[in-house]
Amino acid sequence: MATAEATRATGRHPAAPGAKATGRRRQGRGPARHVVLAGLVVLVLLTVAPLLVVALNAVKSPADYAAHGPLGMPHSVYLRGIADFWNRVDFGRKLLNSFLVSAAVAVGGVILSVLNAYALGIGRVRGRTWFLVFFLVANLLPQEVLVYPLYYVSKSLHLYDTLTIVIIIFIVIQGSFGTYLLTSVYASFPGELLDAAEVDGAGRFRVLWRIVVPVSRPTLSVLLTFFFVWTWNEFFLPLVFLISSDQQTVPVALGVLQGERMMDATTTSASALLGIVPAVLFFLIFQRTLTRGVMAGSVK
Amino acid sequence: MFRAKAGAAFGVLLMAAALGVAACSGSDSGDSKTLTLWHYEGPNSAMGIAWNQAINDFKASHPGVTVKFEEKSFEQIQQTASQILGSDQAPDVMEYNKGNATAGLLSKQGLLTDLSTQAQQRGWAGKLSPSLQTTARYDADGIMGSGKWYGVPNYGELGDLVYYNKAMFDKYHVRVPTTLAEFETAMDTFVKAGVTPLSVGGGEYPAQQIFYDLALSKATRSFVDDFQLYKHKVDFHGPEFSYAADTFARWVKAGYIPKNSAGIKAEDMGVAWEQGKFPMVISGTWWYGRFVSEVKNFEWGSFLFPGNSLHPGSSGNLWVVPAKAKNKSLAYDFIDATMKPDVQNLMANSGGLPVAAEPASVTDEKNRDLIALFDGVVSHDGLAFYPDWPAPGYYDTMVAGVQDLINAAKTPGQVLDELAKPYNDNLADIGK
Repeated sequence: MATAEATRATGRHPAAPGAKATGRRRQGRGPARHVVLAGLVVLVLLTVAPLLVVALNAVKSPADYAAHGPLGMPHSVYLRGIADFWNRVDFGRKLLNSFLVSAAVAVGGVILSVLNAYALGIGRVRGRTWFLVFFLVANLLPQEVLVYPLYYVSKSLHLYDTLTIVIIIFIVIQGSFGTYLLTSVYASFPGELLDAAEVDGAGRFRVLWRIVVPVSRPTLSVLLTFFFVWTWNEFFLPLVFLISSDQQTVPVALGVLQGERMMDATTTSASALLGIVPAVLFFLIFQRTLTRGVMAGSVK
Repeated sequence: MFRAKAGAAFGVLLMAAALGVAACSGSDSGDSKTLTLWHYEGPNSAMGIAWNQAINDFKASHPGVTVKFEEKSFEQIQQTASQILGSDQAPDVMEYNKGNATAGLLSKQGLLTDLSTQAQQRGWAGKLSPSLQTTARYDADGIMGSGKWYGVPNYGELGDLVYYNKAMFDKYHVRVPTTLAEFETAMDTFVKAGVTPLSVGGGEYPAQQIFYDLALSKATRSFVDDFQLYKHKVDFHGPEFSYAADTFARWVKAGYIPKNSAGIKAEDMGVAWEQGKFPMVISGTWWYGRFVSEVKNFEWGSFLFPGNSLHPGSSGNLWVVPAKAKNKSLAYDFIDATMKPDVQNLMANSGGLPVAAEPASVTDEKNRDLIALFDGVVSHDGLAFYPDWPAPGYYDTMVAGVQDLINAAKTPGQVLDELAKPYNDNLADIGK
């Protein structure tokens, strides 16, 4: 309290020399900055702590884990858990499957969203509010509700137990969210641009491809990234639809270790570590796109 | 605008159709040349090791047949079995959970093959004692205990082995108890020395198995038949469950069961005992192999819950043959291979509890003792199954009820009422 009073008091003296004043002003912001910093550090630790525990146990031998519990430091680095798990579930194959599904869904979902949103946001189709409500509701439906209908459809199309059905389902699910979001973005699309293009004789497809898509590219790349990450982490529908081991995605493969009564804590940690790494890598690669996309949205 | 959207939709449909045709052409294989086999036991578990041997035996006796084995996750099979078995992707033979809500339900839905003829012809029925057969046979309503064979158990399990830390027993001069009274005296000794005697996981299955054990200490076979097979009405305020609830509450009060154990998971319960924080843990034979390989810091032993002639336990999971399996005769041959002495003995030597091992050929002393314990219980028809079996969702009811006892949130009488209601509702549902 006393220091706060003091800084406020010094702040009221504009007569002080400039250099000193700025120095004091910085000092004046000090306590608040430290509080914010401490808060952030605590938050970061809270977020990172589970990951650290996972990493800690991933490199422990089972006997070490049994003797010293989950929080003890590993006595020696034991990498067999990771290697065993990789071979046991053929993890390379699962990574490839996950990548194929996520990439196809990301691209397909964005294309579907753009086409829908162009019609609804810029084309101003009649009854577009109802379309939007429909897309929103479709997006809010819990996946459990969809399982049985989708199961029967996939069986009659002979697509049960293929990556194709999962890709189609998620293109639609992600696309419905994308449509909802993009429509509101396109609804405020500068009309002058569209008019100018039309005057120049551009057709509807040309307007979409040459004007709308390039202008909204930052938003689209954010959507692309989100669709990829969301699809990567999907568990329930892939669990239901991907039966054969060589069709499964990473989250489904991680489930192999959770037994009926037994859980193998060290191998589970190893697998969790393997499961997290791709997501972290992906984030590091696309982090710039994300920030840029968010900024672009905010300026507009 | 609409044209573009319709075009995209049409494109998706076209793509779906094209891939559908491609997928269709690759999935037919009713050629008696491939056996598709699924189970969800880890490769290092006793079952995983023994079944791997069975695969090799099968390959040797069936030259030219490929075995397509896939390790599945327990959860995937639990969540999606009826969908998989209703599709063309059904395997030829797979491991599946025993019980009314699992194998019983699938048999009722017509998704499993009737194995009765095979069980007689190939002698499986002769190798399995009555209480092991209970979980293999299901009637037309999918209730276990009678009717046709829909599964074949390959191993067994007991739910109430007391694992004890020999060093701690020596330190406090406690001897292995043989009656419930001696058991309580032993626990008193530990409490007086300031040591909590039992590591208990109240957040999951272990605590309810202790509760059930206490009920079984006052029970006869007909009580088990009434409770599990719905032969007669069960009185939840009768001598068995009243004793169980009162005694369990008393054990908490006396400090035998830690007061904070309501939220402890089974995994943490086991690890706490492995770390030597508690002298005893009461849980199933499924821990046995893990303790053998992981406990290095002290000597340990095990005994059955003292004084009981009935014990929680049952056959293990079942081999089932889906109704849509394409190579059923290969599936029967494989099940037969897992029942052969060499596979059964290997399972025993790997720390498992096979249903038809020859004790003489089990080399490891600890494993031989365990099998002798199990065989003793089975030969006296002492398997009483698990307390959460009789009704769907009863597991959560049991967990909540026993937690209330641990936290002393409800009186034993109130807890028994809580347990009785879902049980009786289920009876009404199935028309018993």
